[in-house]
Amino acid sequence: MSSAAIYEAQVRSGGAVASAPGEWKPFEKVLFRIAFIYFVIQCVPLDWKFYRQVFQINWLNLTYGDIFELSRYQLRFFSGPDTWANWAVILLIAIVGGIVWGNRDKDKKEYNQLYYWLRVIVRYRLAAGLIAYGFIKFFPLQAPPPSLSNLNTAYGDFSAWKLFALSLGVVPDYQSFLGLVELAGGLLLLHRRTTTLATLIIIPFTGNVFISNLAYEGGEYIYSFYLIVLALFLFAFDANRLNNLLTLGKPTFPNRFKPVFTQNNIKQARIAFKGAFVLFFVVIYGYKSYAGYHNYSYQYPTKPGLAQAAGLYNVEQFVLNGDTLAYSPLDPVRWKDVVFENWATLSIRSSPPAVIDSANVEHIDFDDARRNYEQAGSGGRHYYSYEHDPASKTLKLTNKVDASDRLTLHYSRPDSTTILLSGVGKSNDSLYVALKKINKKYLFQEVQKVGRRGEFKL
Amino acid sequence: MLSTIKLNTATELPVVEESRPADVQPDERGESARWPEWQKTLFRIAFVFFIAMSIPNSAEWYTALFNFEWTRLHYRDVYDIARFGSGLDIFGRTLFGSPLNGYATWIITFFAATVVGLIWTGIDRLRKPQPANYNQLYYWLRVVVRYRAGIGIIGFGFTKLLPTQMPYPSLGLLNTNFGDFTLQKIYWLSVGIVPWYQVFAGVVELAAGILLFFRGTTTLGAILLLGALGDIVYVNFAYDGGVHVYSSYFVLLAAFLLIKDTPKLWNLIVLERFTAPNNIYPFFSKTGKYIRYALKFGVFGLFLVHLFYLQYVNFKYDPYKQPSTAGVKTLRGNYNVTEFKINNQTIPYSPTDTLRWQWATFENWTTLTFKVNKPQPLDLSNGGGAPMRDIGRTFELTGTAGGQRVYHYLADTIAHTLYLRDKYAKGGARDGVGQEQKPQPSRAEKSKEARGEGDRADKNWISKAALARIGDENKMIDPIAYSARRDKEFAAKPRRDKRNRMILNYTTQDGSRVILSGINENKDSIYVVLDRVKRPYVLAKSTLNAGKYD
Repeated sequence: MSSAAIYEAQVRSGGAVASAPGEWKPFEKVLFRIAFIYFVIQCVPLDWKFYRQVFQINWLNLTYGDIFELSRYQLRFFSGPDTWANWAVILLIAIVGGIVWGNRDKDKKEYNQLYYWLRVIVRYRLAAGLIAYGFIKFFPLQAPPPSLSNLNTAYGDFSAWKLFALSLGVVPDYQSFLGLVELAGGLLLLHRRTTTLATLIIIPFTGNVFISNLAYEGGEYIYSFYLIVLALFLFAFDANRLNNLLTLGKPTFPNRFKPVFTQNNIKQARIAFKGAFVLFFVVIYGYKSYAGYHNYSYQYPTKPGLAQAAGLYNVEQFVLNGDTLAYSPLDPVRWKDVVFENWATLSIRSSPPAVIDSANVEHIDFDDARRNYEQAGSGGRHYYSYEHDPASKTLKLTNKVDASDRLTLHYSRPDSTTILLSGVGKSNDSLYVALKKINKKYLFQEVQKVGRRGEFKL
Repeated sequence: MLSTIKLNTATELPVVEESRPADVQPDERGESARWPEWQKTLFRIAFVFFIAMSIPNSAEWYTALFNFEWTRLHYRDVYDIARFGSGLDIFGRTLFGSPLNGYATWIITFFAATVVGLIWTGIDRLRKPQPANYNQLYYWLRVVVRYRAGIGIIGFGFTKLLPTQMPYPSLGLLNTNFGDFTLQKIYWLSVGIVPWYQVFAGVVELAAGILLFFRGTTTLGAILLLGALGDIVYVNFAYDGGVHVYSSYFVLLAAFLLIKDTPKLWNLIVLERFTAPNNIYPFFSKTGKYIRYALKFGVFGLFLVHLFYLQYVNFKYDPYKQPSTAGVKTLRGNYNVTEFKINNQTIPYSPTDTLRWQWATFENWTTLTFKVNKPQPLDLSNGGGAPMRDIGRTFELTGTAGGQRVYHYLADTIAHTLYLRDKYAKGGARDGVGQEQKPQPSRAEKSKEARGEGDRADKNWISKAALARIGDENKMIDPIAYSARRDKEFAAKPRRDKRNRMILNYTTQDGSRVILSGINENKDSIYVVLDRVKRPYVLAKSTLNAGKYD
């Protein structure tokens, strides 16, 4: 055995002891064997795909996205979106394994040692999960402020999940606070004696995340439930003791089991592992996400857009194949308004229903083409990324959801508030569009300047 | 205060076990314990402070209690019993001229409590023998705080359990751009779109409240309350929600309730030492026991059973943030403004025109909205309060820009006339921002209001005959939801707020095309053709709908 443990003497206690190490009851042993196999499979990366991911990372140029993706490891037997079926298979393996193990291990009186190590595995797995999400909230990256296009989309044209993200995006301080809570929970898990305190933070917090995922139809309800199950497993260790002391009001003995590391190399290995974990998930990841917040946040594209064009534009004139179309809120072809973002995205409000990108799972991508936050869960507008050629004054637009929808438009800018576009659109239609910038003021930003008490005009 | 036994090394064990068998009653040990002097002083201050913070500080609260018609209660009556202002405000609500973000009352109360506590300490010095501890008084202080916090949070919990606090957005709000809301509105809508989540939040608040009613589960309830309301405090600061003081009030009470057990928790869980509780419970005589049961039963009966029923009725028939009266059925929906004439002059559609209506909705209830591209004064309160009249229920209007006009109407369905009044009232009551911040009307305004002179022309704008055809607005909801409170407000002289008004005739076959004609708010004649549009939304429909409109 690599480490020894001291069991404090079993004490006669008049039934007041919540749980002291001694001989375990048979059902406790059966449950433990199943739980052990179950949680080891769920927490220790056994999947070859995980290692493929590890080897694909450019370790010399590590990004916070790489660490984030690694932190979300969950064993998958089935491809496609995450399902509970993966859990069912693991449970089945655990039950079968538990029975076999039980037959071979009949004389075993307790699993205190193993229980301790299982808790170590679960603690670190859970800590990685929380810290990964904690930092991208603490440095408000996960939900950025709404884009101009988002601000100019009707409330009802968003999915519930997108509205949840946008509502968080408008208050970066609150997002940091939520990140701080997650980080506190994660960091407290790294110390054995503060683990239960950590679970008192994590269970309500992640419980809320889970319920939010269900209510807002987010894509991460299974993963957040996974984190809750890990936290509940850790909490179970002290649950009886807490109930005994607080609810029943009885004197209570603490946890009696502590590993004592006697061999030097074990001591060193422990420190090395802990150090490596903290270095990787706290120091490096924390620094990288901090730098990311300043230089390369991941939700919006980074390629700069047409210089000094960002804003909302009224479509003053719209000529299709030589015909001028009048303003109409219901015209299936005519554009209603256009937004130029700071980056190379242009979005058009028009009547035909936009195909909706329904992505609702967090992904950190450093490739502009795969950053879909601005259009995800949003109808009402058509989103185009564009290539900009300043020499020929041309914009080559490609629809971000439907790549077959392309436009090539020549632009001219007679004054600072006007952009004239002409060229060919879908199915070789000729197009001429006159855009006039609107001095649009957004209520929540205006109110922040003067406060919302009293009369206000907009 | 802590009865702990260090158990860290094997050598200490036998001593411990022999000297203190585990079946010793904790009560007996704790009762005789002598508190150190500083603890007693601190307790005296805390006692005065928390008692002052836990009992209602306004005379109105007590008079209201005696004036309720207990057989015809409205949910808001009981909610108002549970939600009261406390703390000392006889010295005003500002400190050095500043309300300190609403917390000045707390600080003033704390100063006053310190003074009283120190005087009490002085008196105790003279007493012989001096009290060794305040275990009994501490118990009762915790009882007061537990019940105050429990009742208060249950009042809130029910408005979420039966989701009326944050309604699902009306059509008018769904059509408004995201950038045209205040932060406060953004947050409330984001909860309103997921009624089942709101139910869950209600369950959490209710659970916290119920757990506080039992001494064994107080710590658990306090942890839950601290966590849930701590988040809400931060939400109120971040989104400028306006109720940061009241939500931090619960955090304060929960934190106080946690003081007793936190050292023990720390001792047991973090330090991993043997821990014995030191719960001291009072001994009740037979009469005492009955009084206790009666009080407990009364609180449960009123705040759990009856309030649940009242809130259920409110949710079902009269959801307090949205109008309760059903709108004209054929008119409901989204409408494109196909034609618009003002003083017989046609104005073509243009998003930049400042006169023409651009889009209109008739809600399920008695509201017409339309969009005009012209800046207008906005109501940035949170649309709360408890107005009984639909005109005062402003959630569909507050915190919203984008040129949206929101009109309440009374419909004469025989003469096909709509009597419309703007939901925005110039200088009107802004109920939402929190009672503390509500500006007091000047004396001149008050007397003007009392004389009903706010808007003289308002008086007879609907003819007696039309009024008779329209019927009594008070009785337009389901009879189950009738209440003394509603009767009282409808009987009272309505506030004469300055509001825009329109009288419009409507003609329609089945609602697919509606023609409105009449006089608008500027006394211009208008003629509007509305064509109903089936407007699909990405946002899923609500699966839990408040109110009865069919």
